[in-house]
Amino acid sequence: MLLPFFQWMESLAVYGPSIYLGPAVNIVHLSAMVTFLGALLIVDLRLLGAGLTQQPTATVARDAQPWLLAGLGVLVLTGIPAVMATATLQYANSVFWVKMYLLAIALIYTFTVRRKVAFADEGRFGSGTMKAVGLLSIVMWLSVAALARLIMMIPANTFEFLVG
Amino acid sequence: MTEFFLPAFQWMEVNLPGGPYLRESTFGFSILLTSHVVAMCVFFGLILMMDLRLVGIANLRTRVSEISPRLLPWQMVGFIFMAVTGVALFWAQPLRYFGKTFFWWKMGLMVLAGINAGVIHLITHKSEAAWDSRAAKIAGATSIVLWLAILALGRLVAYDWMTTEYLVE
Repeated sequence: MLLPFFQWMESLAVYGPSIYLGPAVNIVHLSAMVTFLGALLIVDLRLLGAGLTQQPTATVARDAQPWLLAGLGVLVLTGIPAVMATATLQYANSVFWVKMYLLAIALIYTFTVRRKVAFADEGRFGSGTMKAVGLLSIVMWLSVAALARLIMMIPANTFEFLVG
Repeated sequence: MTEFFLPAFQWMEVNLPGGPYLRESTFGFSILLTSHVVAMCVFFGLILMMDLRLVGIANLRTRVSEISPRLLPWQMVGFIFMAVTGVALFWAQPLRYFGKTFFWWKMGLMVLAGINAGVIHLITHKSEAAWDSRAAKIAGATSIVLWLAILALGRLVAYDWMTTEYLVE
């Protein structure tokens, strides 16, 4: 159903004839991922009862939030042209779709459940809840990062049993 | 200059056990490379949070003297995974990396980043006040620049630029 859209994206040839633009965008994308994950992990570690434990979780989360959002913003800005440049290959790649589905779930989770728990006043949620929320966040986002790198590297049909 | 090491790399290409398996398997090399990148994200992400605090632009509600020792064990977890997978990637095809200019630049910058980390330690372990010194800010900014360059070079190694192919003699 989305194939014509992906074909149109590729037809725009976002990188033009440049052979440097693609790698440059990839490097900025990866740097943004580092920033995003750094800001994510100090909060998730705090939820797990590790790392910056001398501050309340909400304090750590408030400090990290601008970097989390900035990292995410640059990830989206660089991720879109990266997909557009090779859109039909991405479309036909099951690894790409698993990454995108997981990304959607991770985003919703991060800005609903995780946000509520991370910014809550101390004592509102039990330590078991906080640990589970932090651990799930780490697992989901590291999986998104891993799947992103695996696109185009492992066979395109690797996850076809999952996403048809 | 690196030619001096060529025989050693050729020897490793032939003699390191398991190398051909890693080179040729569909998933072995991919999983190693992916683990290396994810471990780098964890390591550099936490280094970056510490460096930004050192420079004085992030995590300002946490004292610098706290953020460094508290994050260190987790930075080390990332570093160990990154180092083990990095060595395994090299193990799989030493001659390929030998011929890559970006690989050598990356190794050089990693030595500088290591020295800089030692400098940060020397500056800051003196006193609480030293954490907020100008020297600490400069060392923090240097760390960010070096690791960003290492990340970029690591990514560039994957392309075919500035690459010479060497064969086993």
